[in-house]
Amino acid sequence: MPITFIDIERQKSWRIIIFLSVLIALYFMISIVIVAPFYLTFPLGISFHGPFPPGPSTFIKVFIFSIVIASIHFCLSSLNAVEYIKKGLGAIEPDKEDEIHRQLVNIVDEIQIAAGGKVKIQCLVIPTLSVNALSAVDLRGRAIIAITEGLLSRLSRPQLETVVAHEAYHILSGDCLETTAAASLFAIPSSAIDKAGAASEGRIFLAPAFLFAWLMVKVSYILNMFVSREREYRADAGAVRMTRNPLALAEVLYMLSRHWKGAGCIGAGIEMLCIMNTSDSALDESEGWLADLMSTHPPVNKRIKILLNMARAGLSALKDRLKEGPGGNFTETSRELFYALDNKYQWQGPFTMTELALLPWLSADTWTSNNGDAVAKASQTPLAEVIFTKRFADDRRAVSGYLCPSCRHPLTPETYEKTKIYRCGFCGGALVDDVKLPRIIVRKDVRYSERITALSRMTLSENQLKTINRNKNRSAGAVNLLHCPKCGSRMNRTFYSMAYPVELDRCSYCGLSWFENDELEILQCMIDNRMASTNPSL
Amino acid sequence: MIGWILLGAVVLFVLWVIIIFNSLISLRNNVQNAWKQIDVQLKRRHDLIPNLVSSVRGAMEFEQDTLEKVINARAKAVSSVGTRDRAGAENMLTQTLGKLFAVMENYPDLKSNVNIMQLQEELTSTENKVGFSRQLYNDLVANYRTRQEVFPNNIIASLFSGFQKEEYFEAAPAERLVPPVNINIRKRQTC
Repeated sequence: MPITFIDIERQKSWRIIIFLSVLIALYFMISIVIVAPFYLTFPLGISFHGPFPPGPSTFIKVFIFSIVIASIHFCLSSLNAVEYIKKGLGAIEPDKEDEIHRQLVNIVDEIQIAAGGKVKIQCLVIPTLSVNALSAVDLRGRAIIAITEGLLSRLSRPQLETVVAHEAYHILSGDCLETTAAASLFAIPSSAIDKAGAASEGRIFLAPAFLFAWLMVKVSYILNMFVSREREYRADAGAVRMTRNPLALAEVLYMLSRHWKGAGCIGAGIEMLCIMNTSDSALDESEGWLADLMSTHPPVNKRIKILLNMARAGLSALKDRLKEGPGGNFTETSRELFYALDNKYQWQGPFTMTELALLPWLSADTWTSNNGDAVAKASQTPLAEVIFTKRFADDRRAVSGYLCPSCRHPLTPETYEKTKIYRCGFCGGALVDDVKLPRIIVRKDVRYSERITALSRMTLSENQLKTINRNKNRSAGAVNLLHCPKCGSRMNRTFYSMAYPVELDRCSYCGLSWFENDELEILQCMIDNRMASTNPSL
Repeated sequence: MIGWILLGAVVLFVLWVIIIFNSLISLRNNVQNAWKQIDVQLKRRHDLIPNLVSSVRGAMEFEQDTLEKVINARAKAVSSVGTRDRAGAENMLTQTLGKLFAVMENYPDLKSNVNIMQLQEELTSTENKVGFSRQLYNDLVANYRTRQEVFPNNIIASLFSGFQKEEYFEAAPAERLVPPVNINIRKRQTC
């Protein structure tokens, strides 16, 4: 192993030439198949093109033609491969207002320093709940590391460092260029066709395109034979060398092997770019020449075993550690609830601290109660300082400029699950960017109270009935639709999904969703506790 | 004829000296560049610490001693000169910062403050960057030293005055300890 990553970067790969040769051979064979009928008809007395058998000049012409076509195909695919992958996966740049995304940006910067700072790596986030990570680099030298929202939110900082280091090693060692080139030739276009097909809702005239996409994926599997599965072992070793933390990487691989790795979401054929194969394949878990030839990823158990040997730890210890608790991003933030006596002498609540601070009628003389316990005036509780300091701060702070679509109060920005949302301090509703929904769902900073759990069960059964009634009286109901706080157009009232029937209002123009009070927490609670709808009619 | 052979030998010898000299120069520059990278990160750390201390001072009334230690360690690190002294002072600062982060865990108010958490993340990231820069620097120093000391490079290196031995940026004593988690795991295995 070279002494520094600067040295590794200098190493150039010869496999790119192999891919180009395979491509030329493929085009040569296709050209021969196309040209052959013109010559085969000669013995029958029909002469289209010269004598039979054709002379060497014909083969040379076909060969030159193949080289030209293959070179054009190779350049078009490989030069912009990173851009195609970004678009294909819907990967987005990290959100600067999101704590975990900022952490990712920092970690990528750190790893670039560990690697000698010679390659500029861009980090991206794939907005999906699946867990996986990939790296790609194209012939123009643009390098990306993309991590799914699901993985990002589940990992602790040291674990995330090892994942980024693993992917960075692929880029630095040059093997990523090979895999990206291999994937870009057939797999990326086929994924694009697949995606277009899904968007077209299966129109019949697109059937030849699907067939073509399927063929391209099959051809891409031929190129897999030239992608060594050993590169994953090398990248694991490289990551350990950079981070000195084999145990964290072993934990990540163990976790990855037991979650949805993005099959169906990350296109077929580009799984070779990922840290782990998206689909569970028996071939991946086996050894021998056939597995070495056809599979792009080595057995995960073997990878974990090697890493555990480096850490001088056992698998049972690893399992114990993972059982002890989830990743480091999981913090115990209790959500204390408060009640307050309003001007009509009626107890209102429960409120969170933020909601309490935003109540317009709350004063130093207001009676408050923490979780229904001792009652005291706001000024006599330790909360007073926090509430009033926050209120004075809020007076100086600019509000979001959005008005609550339900009660027309100004929405205030709030950090929820380490990302920014807009909350109405009066009705408790939340305005969430659709891109941020997957990360909110997958993160587990917020603990649900018994009230939310009970509400979730109730909402599930109520909304099942509501769906049935809505289906029955589809034409009857004029639903009072809300207006988007951003563009003012009418929002669609819909369910988050049929499995999790939480009602929300969605603006398809701005990509914003409005949740009524507690509904965001209810949705998270349902998904966390797998309270999916069991109604067969849904 | 013999004259030509001698001339050829001399030319080959001079070329060989030039190649070794240039490779040593290149390695030395890499080492110096890596040291500058550490410098950048250390400077950033020095800039961030006063902000963190002033942000947490109000909430951590009973930890003034810890905060004072961080401030003193920072002052020492800023004023230190030379690789060895600087490494010692920076390691001391790393240790005191580690203690401060550990103590901060006991203050839930701090954990709920977005600005402080952001500052802590920035400092953690800078700490890691210092660590990674140091790792790269030590790798390059090891490479440079090896190339300097192997035969016959050591003859060339001794002929010129510019090739002094570079110092390693040594790890803090606390960092050399085996992480506690591994100790537990080993105990379980031996049982």
